Amino acid sequence: MLLEVRDLHVEFRTRDGIARAVNGVTYGVDAGETLAVLGESGSGKSVTAQAVMGILDTPPGRITGGEILFQGRDLLKLKEEERRKVRGAEMAMIFQDALSSLNPVVCVGDQLGEMFVVHRGMGKKDARARAVELMDQVRIPGAKERVKDYPHQFSGGMRQRIMIAMAIALEPALIIADEPTTALDVTVQAQVMDLLAELQREYHMGLILITHDLGVVADVADRIAVMYAGRIVESAPVHDLYKAPAHPYTRGLLDSIPRLDQKGQELYAIKGLPPNLMHIPSGCAFHPRCPMARDVCRTDVPPPYEVSEDRASACHFWRECLDG
Amino acid sequence: MAELSKNDEQQDATPNVSEVEVVDAHSETEAVAAIEAPVERGEPILQVRNLQKHFPLTQGILFKRQIGAVKAVDGVSFDLHQGETLGIVGESGCGKSTVAKLLMNLERPTAGEIFYKGQDITKLSGRALKAVRRNIQMVFQDPYTSLNPRMTVGDIIGEPFDIHPEVAPKGDRRRKVQELLDVVGLNPEYINRYPHQFSGGQRQRIGIARGLALNPEIIICDEPVSALDVSVQAQVINLMEKLQDEFNLSYIFIAHDLSIVRHISDRVGVMYLGKMAEIGTDTQIYDHPTHPYTQALLSAVPVPDPDAREHRERIILTGDVPSPANPPSGCRFRTRCWKAQDKCAEEVPLLAVPERFQGSDTPAAHESACHFAEEKDVVHAA
Ligand SMILES: Nc1ncnc2c1ncn2[C@@H]1O[C@H](COP(=O)(O)OP(=O)(O)OP(=O)(O)O)[C@@H](O)[C@H]1O
Ligand SMILES: Nc1ncnc2c1ncn2[C@@H]1O[C@H](COP(=O)(O)OP(=O)(O)O)[C@@H](O)[C@H]1O
Ligand code: SF4
Ligand code: SF4
Ligand SMILES: [Mg+2]
Ligand SMILES: [Mg+2]
Repeated sequence: MLLEVRDLHVEFRTRDGIARAVNGVTYGVDAGETLAVLGESGSGKSVTAQAVMGILDTPPGRITGGEILFQGRDLLKLKEEERRKVRGAEMAMIFQDALSSLNPVVCVGDQLGEMFVVHRGMGKKDARARAVELMDQVRIPGAKERVKDYPHQFSGGMRQRIMIAMAIALEPALIIADEPTTALDVTVQAQVMDLLAELQREYHMGLILITHDLGVVADVADRIAVMYAGRIVESAPVHDLYKAPAHPYTRGLLDSIPRLDQKGQELYAIKGLPPNLMHIPSGCAFHPRCPMARDVCRTDVPPPYEVSEDRASACHFWRECLDG
Repeated sequence: MAELSKNDEQQDATPNVSEVEVVDAHSETEAVAAIEAPVERGEPILQVRNLQKHFPLTQGILFKRQIGAVKAVDGVSFDLHQGETLGIVGESGCGKSTVAKLLMNLERPTAGEIFYKGQDITKLSGRALKAVRRNIQMVFQDPYTSLNPRMTVGDIIGEPFDIHPEVAPKGDRRRKVQELLDVVGLNPEYINRYPHQFSGGQRQRIGIARGLALNPEIIICDEPVSALDVSVQAQVINLMEKLQDEFNLSYIFIAHDLSIVRHISDRVGVMYLGKMAEIGTDTQIYDHPTHPYTQALLSAVPVPDPDAREHRERIILTGDVPSPANPPSGCRFRTRCWKAQDKCAEEVPLLAVPERFQGSDTPAAHESACHFAEEKDVVHAA
């Protein structure tokens, strides 16, 4: 495994109390593999990613347990200085909002070039040349002319491609993309995902794709991990999961999206509201919304039951769910 | 007294754009009476003709000079039938919200007409305009910013009654608001709470309750579920469908999620750069699109089926949408169209049933603004 997150716990101390954002997340990704992390807003997808990257807001955030093994080393045991060397060079992140993640007052050429100056000790001129190459590679038309432009002078799709250029600059082993196309139109989303997949193949990178879009997952992922209230409730190879979900939450999500290829009947709606992380329900966190919930669900936290060799579900009644 | 509205050559032989029966009201009372008259189910209730909105581009601080115009909406025509949902889709900046604002009378059009029951609402004033305003309401995208944080839910939902007290007399308001809360599935006891005490989905229900307060006939929904999580989206969509049946509403439903639009719409219009590229029933547009832009748009939508990955054709468009201040000549899509030819740069394609399909009853026979319209199924896996 390239990256293995084991039983990670993260909490935030806020004025109103302790928000338990991540409550025992376990997932892994291999080189060349795409893991999709799917979940609704607030389910802990980004916080987990920030912990892996070592960019968590601390305080108020605090990692209260778990391990993050990257190429065999536990990143949580590294000094900040060593962590910084890993970041950018060995693992890189792409964010949803490129405009606020790029520096607005530095031209994109210098921002891209800086990666080579800082991490590879390159001179300014060589770094600039590499920046143009990268912009070419992510298909920015007229890269040579545009290398001195500032982020706001590019369209949303181009900015996201510049972020991708920045992420792949040092050929990292792992890329974490946090909702990289959520802010983009579908035709631009298709361009960006296409590019990301191509670069991943070329460099044989591990990719963690964070999203709430079941369509995007079906399109690109090898494996999928579904998060709810800071836990992975189901993890499976992507084909298996869409064919037969083994967790009622996953089933509910799949049933609640309308279809493009035919006009459906009334949509299934998961009842109730996403949980409040200050007061996560007892037992299975999904029980107040679950159509299959029974007494045991209110008291016993479901462990990740093994559904098959490469599949797990945190539902006491996964077998029933799987059988439909 | 039927009369074809002026400056619109696109109307001939177009099943989706009907003849406008212009009502010549000779007094305000007559105008109001026409507005209050019921429209039969399936008949046109709103007829939009050649609508344009150009925002001036200015330069200079003290002495503003106009140096051009953003052609946000540039000649859009369509009908909305009583009781139906017309979906409008298109990429960011294509003019969807501007159309919504024009229909709401929140912006003045640069040109064109909006007939509501035969009267051009862009020319109304006084009591007649007020009556139209009561009958056309809007639900906005962002449930976080569209509600005033300092007002209670009761005040927010009841606010429209200040302007239209005839709908709910003072003493009756509280009961009416509680009824509305109940209708949208919120606890009527929440009447004194503030917006921040609600989740996104609940706030959107508050917005819908407010939209319903005046018993409107038309509700214009601008991205009403885009900010919501998948599980909550379905709740709100189901609610909107239920309310439509219950109150006999007509919807204009603007969204960028093409699957949701198909689910809720009877007919769908596809916009590109201020113009309507194609319009038709949901089956015509999704299963038999003839405009290259619609085809590209649909093919780019990721579908939640991993098996479709290898079997669906993807049309990846190159380049970005051009600026609406300086749209391409001829067909606006030509800079990104893989079928473009010389004619496309020279002649603006009109929104009409393509000649080759005219008189035929294939689902491809619907309005499409392309010189070389041809059918292509991009949604269903081969
Ligand atoms: N008040 C204004 N002044 C100048 N230009 C404007 C104004 N309002 C809108 N525009 C421009 O008009 C075009 C259409 O905008 P509109 O908001 O209608 O797009 P939209 O289709 O609703 O997009 P989105 O999907 O992003 O909501 C855009 O280019 C926009 O920048
Ligand atoms: N800096 C922070 N301070 C306090 N709470 C935070 C902070 N960052 C995230 N959280 C909380 O942690 C939870 C999980 O957030 P996040 O991982 O961002 O969710 P998502 O799955 O949408 O990416 C949320 O309830 C969020 O409000
Ligand atoms: S453990 Fe119980 S409540 Fe939780 S998902 Fe399974 S059936 Fe539902
Ligand atoms: S008119 Fe020409 S450029 Fe426009 S969509 Fe048709 S083929 Fe493409
Ligand atoms: Mg997030
Ligand atoms: Mg808009």
